Amino acid sequence: MPSTQTPPLAGTATDPTSVRPAIDDAIIERVELSALRARLEALKAEGFSMLLDLGAVDYLGRAPRFDVVYHLLKMPVVAATVAQVGAPGRMRVLCGINDGDHVPSVVSLWPSADWAEREVFDLFGITFDGHPDLRRIQMPHDWEGAPLRKDYPLRGPARERAPRPAFALKSNVQAGTPPSGKTLAALQEQIKKAREQ
Amino acid sequence: MSLSTTPLTPEIVSHEGNAMVLSMGPQHPSTHGVLQIMLEIEGENVIKLEPEIGYLHTGIEKNCENLFWSQVQTNVERMDYLAPSSNAFCYVLAVEKLLGITDAIPERAQVIRVLQAELTRIASHCVQLGTHAIDLGAISVFFYCFDLRENILDLQEAAGGARMHPNYLRVGGVNGDLPDGYLERVDALIAKFPGRMRELRGLLQANPIFQDRTIDVGYMSPADAVSWSVTGPPLRASGVAYDVRKALPYSGYEHYDFDVPTRTDGDAYARFLVRLDEMEQSLRIIEQARKKLNTPGPVVIDDPKIVAPPKETIALSMEALIHHFKIVSEGFRVPPGDVYQSVEGPRGELGYYIVSNGENRPYRLRTRPPSMYNLQCLKGMAPGNLIADLVVMIGSLDPVFGEVDR
Repeated sequence: MPSTQTPPLAGTATDPTSVRPAIDDAIIERVELSALRARLEALKAEGFSMLLDLGAVDYLGRAPRFDVVYHLLKMPVVAATVAQVGAPGRMRVLCGINDGDHVPSVVSLWPSADWAEREVFDLFGITFDGHPDLRRIQMPHDWEGAPLRKDYPLRGPARERAPRPAFALKSNVQAGTPPSGKTLAALQEQIKKAREQ
Repeated sequence: MSLSTTPLTPEIVSHEGNAMVLSMGPQHPSTHGVLQIMLEIEGENVIKLEPEIGYLHTGIEKNCENLFWSQVQTNVERMDYLAPSSNAFCYVLAVEKLLGITDAIPERAQVIRVLQAELTRIASHCVQLGTHAIDLGAISVFFYCFDLRENILDLQEAAGGARMHPNYLRVGGVNGDLPDGYLERVDALIAKFPGRMRELRGLLQANPIFQDRTIDVGYMSPADAVSWSVTGPPLRASGVAYDVRKALPYSGYEHYDFDVPTRTDGDAYARFLVRLDEMEQSLRIIEQARKKLNTPGPVVIDDPKIVAPPKETIALSMEALIHHFKIVSEGFRVPPGDVYQSVEGPRGELGYYIVSNGENRPYRLRTRPPSMYNLQCLKGMAPGNLIADLVVMIGSLDPVFGEVDR
C-alpha cells in the first residue's frame, strides 16, 4: 500500500484548522467574539443542551492569537432510550480572540462551564466576564504565567546546586574496604581526618 | 499579563451563624485521591461545598506538545490510570482520523482494541465497586473485585508487557499480535466471570446496609445530569441512554450485540447497578470479540512511514532500515487539521481535541476528561445532605484524579 503521508504544508503552521475540511462528525462554526454569547444562547435554545467541553488553543504568531473552542452536544433532557438519543448532533464553535480580550462566560447557560473556564483562565490567561468564581484551578494560586501558552517554557530556570561539603567528596575518602573489616568505623575515621584538614 | 487569584483559604466558604468551615482532604481516605473539599457544615449537614482540585496536576497536555506522536500515547495512558487502554484507544483513533487511515486499520487490530477496551472497563469498574464498598464498610468486596481485576491485569501484561500501563495500542494497529495462549486465558476469564458476578451481586445488591446507604442518596435528574455535562454510568443511571459506542460507533462497535443498561432512579444505588450491568455487557462484547479472533490476520497497517517495519527485515532490506531509522529518530508527520474524537471510557465520554500543524509533534492536545465533569456536579448534588452521604456520592461518581488534574 502506498503511504498516505503527505509532506507538511509550508506556511500553514499558524492555523491548521483553516487548511482542511472537517474530518469528524461535528458541524464546525467560527464566530466573532462580539456575537459569541448570542450565538451560544441561540444554540442552547436550539437543543444543544450539553456543553461537552470547553478549551483553548494558542496560535502564537496569528492574529487573533487564541481560539476558544466549545464542543456542544444535542441531548434530550429527559430519560431517553438508545433509539431516542440516536446519534446526537455535535457542534464545535471556535472563537478567535486576542491577548487581553475578555470572553463572555457561559456558566449561566451550562453550569458545567465553571471548571472548564477556570482551567482556560489558569492555563492560558484568558479572562471570562461574568464567571462567578474565576481563579486558578490546576496551578497553585500564587503561580506566575499561563503554562499552556506557546511562549511559556517547558522547563523552569535551572536551579543552582548547593556545593557538596568537602568531607562528603569521594576524593577525600580512600577507596577500598579497610583490611580490618570495620568499615563504618574506618570511614568515620577518614571523614574525621578530612574535616580536620 | 495580570492574573489575580484568590488564595486558597477557609474564607472561600463564608461563615454564617452556626456554620462551621471544614476542609475534607486532600489526604482523606474516602476522597479517592487528592481531592480537597471545603465544606460549610451545620452539624452533620452540608450547606455548601467547593471541591478544590489540581493537587495532581502534572502538565500532561503541555508535555504532549513536545513529544513525538508515538510518545504522546505513553503519556495519555497515565491520565486515567485505571483504564489506560481506553485513553490510548481514543488517542490512536484521533490520530488515525487526522492521518486519514481510519478505514485501512486491519480488522483483527480493531477487534483486539475492542477486547482491550472492554477488559480495561471491567477492571476499572472492579476498582470502583471495591473502593466504593470499602467506603461503606464492606471490606471483603474489595478482595473479590481485585481478584477479578488481577486476572485482567495479567492479560494486559501478557499483551503489552506491563500491568498498569500496557501501551499496547499503536497508531495504525496494535504492537504485535496477541501471544500464544492468550485466547485460552481469555476463555478462562469468560468461564470464571459469571460466578464472580454472582458473588458480587450477592454481596452487595440485596445487602440491606448497602441499600440503606445508597438508595435515594445523590439523586440527579436527567436535566441536571445533562446541564452538568455528566456522562457515562452516572448519566445512564439518570435515565439518558447515551453511550458513545452506540451513538457514534467507532472501531466496529456497530457489529457487536450489546445493550446499554439504564436506570431511572438517578441515585447512588442506580449507578452501582448500572456499573454491574455494564460489566456483564462488556463480557458479552469480549465473548464476541474472542470468536472473531479465531481467524489470523495482520494487526498493523502496512505503511512503513507510520509503523516501523518488522525488526527481522532490517538486516535484509536497506529501505526497511531507513524507515526504521526515520521512525525512531524523528517519528512520523501528521497532516495539518483539527479533530475531536471521543470514546466511551469506563467513566464516560473521553475525548481528545487534537490540533496538528503538519509536524511530528501535536500542536495542541486537549482532553475532555469525564471524571472532571462528573466530579463537578457535586456542587449541585451535595448541599443539603449529610457528610456521610457526600462520601457515597464521591464514590458513586468514580473520579480518577490522574484524569481530573492531568
